Amino acid sequence: MLGLTLKSLLARKWRSAMTALAVVFGIALVAGTYVLTDTTNQAFDEIFVKSNEKIDVTITGRERVDQPDGSVPAFPERYLGEVRAVDGVSDAAGSVFTPGSILNDKGKSTGAPFAPQFISSVLPVRLEALDYVEGRPPRKPNEAALDEAAAERGGLRVGDTIRLVGTGAARPYRLVGLTRLGSASFGGSSISQVILPVAQRITGKRGEFDQISVAGRDSISPEELKRRIAAVLPESLLVETGTENAERQASDVRDGLSFLTIALFAFGAISLFVGSFVIFNVFSITVAQRTREFGMLRTLGASRRQILRNVLVEGLVIGLVASVFGVLVGIGLAEGLSALLSGFGIDLPGNSLVVVPRTVIVSFLIGVGVTLVSSMIPAVRATRVPPIAALSEDVLQAGSTRLWIRGLVSFVLGVAGVALIAWVLVGNIEGGAGAARIGAGAVCLVVSIAIFSPRLIQPLVRVIGWPIARFGGLTGKLARENSLRTPARTAVTSAALMIGIALVAFVTIFASGLNSSVTDVIAQNVRGQIILQGPGGFVEIPPEAVRDAETVQGVEAASGVRYTQARVPRAGGTAVASVDPRSVDRVLEIDLVEGTQADLRALAPGRAVIGQKLADEARLGLGDRFRPLTKTGRRPELEVTAIMASGNLDFLGEVVVSETQMDRDFGVKADFFGFVRVKPGQDVEKVKDRISRTLDRPYPTVEVLNQDELEQRQREQINAILALIYVLLALAVVVSLVGIVVTLILSIYERTRELGMLRAVGMSRRQVKRMIRFEAVITAVLGASAGLVLGIVFAFLMGIPLEGEGFVLSYPIPTLVAILVLSALAGVLASVYPARKAARLDVLEAISYE
Amino acid sequence: MESALPSTESSDPSGSPVVSARGLERIYGEGEASVRALDGVDVDFDHGLFTSIMGPSGSGKSTLMHILAGLDRPTAGTVQIDGVEITDLDDADLTQLRRDKLGFVFQFFNLLPVLTAEENVVLPLTIARRKPDQEWVDQLMETVGLADRKTHRPAELSGGQQQRVAIARALVTRPSVLFADEPTGNLDSESSHQVLQLLRSAVDEFGQTVIMVTHEPDAAAHGDRLIALRDGRLVHDAPPVSADAVIELLKTLG
Repeated sequence: MLGLTLKSLLARKWRSAMTALAVVFGIALVAGTYVLTDTTNQAFDEIFVKSNEKIDVTITGRERVDQPDGSVPAFPERYLGEVRAVDGVSDAAGSVFTPGSILNDKGKSTGAPFAPQFISSVLPVRLEALDYVEGRPPRKPNEAALDEAAAERGGLRVGDTIRLVGTGAARPYRLVGLTRLGSASFGGSSISQVILPVAQRITGKRGEFDQISVAGRDSISPEELKRRIAAVLPESLLVETGTENAERQASDVRDGLSFLTIALFAFGAISLFVGSFVIFNVFSITVAQRTREFGMLRTLGASRRQILRNVLVEGLVIGLVASVFGVLVGIGLAEGLSALLSGFGIDLPGNSLVVVPRTVIVSFLIGVGVTLVSSMIPAVRATRVPPIAALSEDVLQAGSTRLWIRGLVSFVLGVAGVALIAWVLVGNIEGGAGAARIGAGAVCLVVSIAIFSPRLIQPLVRVIGWPIARFGGLTGKLARENSLRTPARTAVTSAALMIGIALVAFVTIFASGLNSSVTDVIAQNVRGQIILQGPGGFVEIPPEAVRDAETVQGVEAASGVRYTQARVPRAGGTAVASVDPRSVDRVLEIDLVEGTQADLRALAPGRAVIGQKLADEARLGLGDRFRPLTKTGRRPELEVTAIMASGNLDFLGEVVVSETQMDRDFGVKADFFGFVRVKPGQDVEKVKDRISRTLDRPYPTVEVLNQDELEQRQREQINAILALIYVLLALAVVVSLVGIVVTLILSIYERTRELGMLRAVGMSRRQVKRMIRFEAVITAVLGASAGLVLGIVFAFLMGIPLEGEGFVLSYPIPTLVAILVLSALAGVLASVYPARKAARLDVLEAISYE
Repeated sequence: MESALPSTESSDPSGSPVVSARGLERIYGEGEASVRALDGVDVDFDHGLFTSIMGPSGSGKSTLMHILAGLDRPTAGTVQIDGVEITDLDDADLTQLRRDKLGFVFQFFNLLPVLTAEENVVLPLTIARRKPDQEWVDQLMETVGLADRKTHRPAELSGGQQQRVAIARALVTRPSVLFADEPTGNLDSESSHQVLQLLRSAVDEFGQTVIMVTHEPDAAAHGDRLIALRDGRLVHDAPPVSADAVIELLKTLG
């Protein structure tokens, strides 16, 4: 029987290959994600292990409050003396390693926009991990070294001048050496080294270290040394062995990248889910077409189990073949994904691709599993073919059995979906928790609809096919009736497309909502006409730049805003912003619920303005005091002097303090935004040009933007992410188009005799092609419009719990119409090959075809 | 090997009939729309005989064969094959029955296009996971006149050749009874003649029991016994005389 199964699979090579193709993409995405993350993680492991090779113990600031950028506070230099005094320490040195900007002499960045750049201090040779491939380490204040790869990217050589920017103005340094960390690759990021006092000054960490590195005597184990050092240092410092430190950093990176891994897996899962529809359809059709064969096998004594096995082994073989190709494509895709991500500014390190057994095993399990599960229902249906089917003259369809099970599953999922959504709407659950429940409810509803779709097909095809039947002549009418012949088949084919399009529509609307929300927030809260921000809005800017901008002619006021995270009792992690009380009311428009603008101007250390949401959550009112835990470990006491409206996408967080307090207690010394108010009667663009010219030389990384440009930048970022999601969703859409192609070809094969008859009575090749094309368009438009409706409804629902965060939905109608039109065109594209095949049927052969 | 052969009990010519039906009734549908396809049929089929079942369309001849072969269940009545009551067997037992005791020949040959002629012939053994008796297979291929076409695929064979492969396939398990459903319905007269000769010689040379449904008088004339149905009742049961006589008989049945 196995031989028979394989032979009949081979006899249907083409069909089997298309079936396999339906899951290849999904498997490839899973395998590719594994390869990519393994490669990246291995590269980071190598970086951290190599960095700590000569180091027995590290001392760093302990993280008190999770920061979005993962930064930990620096600590005072004086601990170095205490560490050196510990018995067993042979060498110990403090160092700085802080994000900054590395520019060439002309002030142009040497790296990709989002790739992090670091400024670090030189360590004594006994502790230094970097090797000098050329030149020597910097020794004088005006000297710097740069990693070899960054130098190559920036076209820099020893003797050239580079400029470094931290929290102050850019200063020139002479490049005296090029470095390399073993064979490790940094991806797009780069490191510049300067001597310690310079590094401390550039990064605003005078008298502070990010890390103390210790080498111990040979006679003492790193663990013992760690124990002894920890005994003399305060709790606020984290003492680890070099190995522990490398492992922790590697696992932090792994956690940081996990969102990417999960997102990529999610797209793989979507593609596989859509693929499973295609496989289900192909197997259903194949089983229907082989009804008489199964009946014959049954009369010859084949048991139900043998029939089941026959079909499932086909699924197994297809799954295996798909997995082989999936893994191979996935390995190639890992390169592609890496290139794709770096195209969007995410430049991951990695040398050669890492393919571990787990990648292959999981990919095979998924590939075979999905194929087997999808072929299970058709296989069971095949076992229900009675032996008598072998004797009947016409090939009966193996009836679609167990309708009630389908109905029940669809019903249960539908109820669950509605309940989840109702829970959020009725219970008024706001924010992320509400959005997550709506998302889960949406998934339930989509699957429910997909399962139930055969019952919905009849009326929908009537409506969507109307223009085609009305204006498409006879071929149009036939096409519409053909789509209705096997409603289950049409339903499953278009449901596959529906899922992809629903997601496309959803993210499109959501992104458009995000865009308009950002625009709204800027328009409503920013009174300053000119905005200063770091490169790409990801990096902080020196506060001196904002101060310098204030001195420019025509500027009325310039004020910086800083951000951090702190932990507020009874509320947990909370976003904190600081403003400059002198000018805040001139550059920002803060909507106060309680208190007055005078309270804003009177903001001083010990006072805070809080958001309505935090006031409710932490039960704080005017005059109440609270003690947030800051990232430096301090707990400053703050008195609530005003309450502002929440929402606004956390533009000002939930706590606003004065700049002085931010600097002192929250440990944030650089501005994120600078807002500039132009004097009345002054031309904004002229003032902007003057600011640009003033800041260009000392602060080359600062971007000077007007409000439109800021909105434009924000939109660009959102659209870049949107584009990335489109590319990944395209895989699922392509799979569903493959589904349309296969289904069309199989039904043409089934209707060979009928097509021959139509040709015999005078239908032209062109008309046959047109008929097939119409069928494809009906299926595609059906799936696309169902998907669009679902996407719109879910985006609308998702927007409700996010309203409180300042999220406003907007519907990009032209884009949505474009999606529909593109889907119809994709239907035409999918019909090209089947239509040609149908048109080429030999009339005589087709009629005598049995 | 022994298990591949029918039990000696059933091969005993002096014993009870191979197939025995009593009081067969088959009603399709319910209420006013119901159709009585079989209306009290009692019939026995003895070992080593070639029986033809005839009757106008709607007479119930196909229904009778389906029920005798365990492909359909009677509304009332019993069917015994080799003394075993089959009307209340479950799917697994029926499968086993088909493997051990029944052979089928269809109007549309029903060969698997992906298998060679010989592979098609041994398919029932493959399904039952039995090792074919190569000597017996060779003998069958010789008998059906396709010894030189063993490795041909069905597509490379004529209709008559395909049906002869199907007969060899039905005989390969030495079934207690071979059911043939309009085996010549799709063949020209020359091929029809060869196929009927083949069924005849299976009875004469191997002592095979054959039950054939047909509407062709020529075909019926090859049998040892002709039974005819009309409106679900047995109306004729006698050895066939000649094709012309059969035609006359059919006329009376209208």
